[in-house]
Amino acid sequence: MSILIKLAMGELKRLVRYKILPVSLATAIIWIVFFLFLSETEALEIAPLLIIVDAAAMSILLLGASHHLEKQEGTIRTMMVMPVSLGQILTAKTAASMVLALESAVVTSAALFFIHGITFNYGLLLLFVAIAGAAHAAIGFFISLRSRDFTYMLVLLMAYMFLFTIPSFLLNLGLIDVKYEWLLMLSPSHSASRLIISAVTGDFDLVLTTAGCLYLILLTAVLFKFTVYPMFKDNAARG
Amino acid sequence: MGAAFNVENLTFKYPSSGEDTIKGISFDVLEGEIFGLLGPSGAGKSTTQKILIKLLEDYRGTIKYFGRSLNSMDNSFYEEIGVGFEVPVHFSKLTALENMKFFSGFYKKTANIQELMERVGLWEYRDVKVGEFSKGMKVRLNFVRAMLNNPRVLFLDEVTNGLDPKNARIIKDMIAEYRADGGTVFLSTHLMNDVEQLCDRIAFCVNGRLVETSTPRELKLKYGKREVKVEYRENGTIASAVFPLDGIGFNDEFQKLLKSGKIETIHSGETSMEEIFIIVTGVELK
Repeated sequence: MSILIKLAMGELKRLVRYKILPVSLATAIIWIVFFLFLSETEALEIAPLLIIVDAAAMSILLLGASHHLEKQEGTIRTMMVMPVSLGQILTAKTAASMVLALESAVVTSAALFFIHGITFNYGLLLLFVAIAGAAHAAIGFFISLRSRDFTYMLVLLMAYMFLFTIPSFLLNLGLIDVKYEWLLMLSPSHSASRLIISAVTGDFDLVLTTAGCLYLILLTAVLFKFTVYPMFKDNAARG
Repeated sequence: MGAAFNVENLTFKYPSSGEDTIKGISFDVLEGEIFGLLGPSGAGKSTTQKILIKLLEDYRGTIKYFGRSLNSMDNSFYEEIGVGFEVPVHFSKLTALENMKFFSGFYKKTANIQELMERVGLWEYRDVKVGEFSKGMKVRLNFVRAMLNNPRVLFLDEVTNGLDPKNARIIKDMIAEYRADGGTVFLSTHLMNDVEQLCDRIAFCVNGRLVETSTPRELKLKYGKREVKVEYRENGTIASAVFPLDGIGFNDEFQKLLKSGKIETIHSGETSMEEIFIIVTGVELK
């Protein structure tokens, strides 16, 4: 088994043991119950929002929780003295956090199909969830590494949501004029939202969707290379 | 005997710090020896260890690991070293055995986990979550973790801190056996008992500089008093006398006391490692 797979399996095992994955799954199942009381049109409108919440905010929250637990336990330091690279450790952690986002997308898609018979391009949705999930994992690392404890991390997460997530919701609710959408695409939350809504509803604006994809990929690369990687190493060394 | 580590003029400064934390230190850790780095808190011991285990990299000076530049070593370096941190470093929701299996899965060459855990008395607790372990059990598990890959060089930080005398003895015996089998140990501690019982050579680090590097025996001779203190019983009370060690065989008074048969204790003026620590570093041990 390759080192990366071993690391990722270890991350997943811990997500289960630390009750992070079961809680995320339970939350997704609660949403399914809501679909039973919604019409097909309403369910189609709500579903992307649920996936976005899990791929964005929940990813950041759960990654932060896991990071601060590991910091308390000192396990990050001991992993840094194993014959594995920091890049492999970060990739495994990102992959595990993306599982949370993908799990929500799969559960929501299944609920839409079995309750309302709604189908869409699942491959595209998974691709977009993966892109959005990776970007928000990078943001999650950035916020976690900038915060001294979990409480402070929650404060930073709230600030992030106030700045980037709430305006995106306001635009989706029609409370912000669509002419500002290009400006809002600078918000990772809105770019992710644009991708996931496109995949679920099939309502594509090719230029916006492509721009959203490229922006999130670029943001992920820049955050990992210039902030997450050096900060993670510095954090582990200082203990 | 070659050098496991050869450190020349090592200097290091944390980006957020105004001055160098390590100020041009040089020392060798010889293959097959137990080298102790001692010093008060904040002296630079941990920073030196972090540099040697490649957790900190932007240093100045030269470090060679078995003749190769440490900078040129890739992750395979970690196949050869074992690191025992002072604080527990385990996943608390996983059992002791799950933790050890997880960590050992990344090494090409691994030790027998059962043997190690049995030796430190943890095998019967292998299925208990580490979060339920006492401090001493976590310290012992830390040691097992450090030994998982049959390391060529072992880094240990306060290895017996928090252990009862029986378990501390077990760990010290294992370290001595490891050294006897050719292993090299870099020990960082403030527990002078460990130093006295384990170290072949020690270096004192004060304010980022090495102020003394020697063997425990040489240090005791250097800082000790060349005298003999005798306690004896006289007229129903305990009396004492001190004699110079030089020429003691010809000291009539001492010889007379020996022949009198009244002596209860005899001590050489050997200084304890604790006293040497205080003299060399200028800091009291707490």
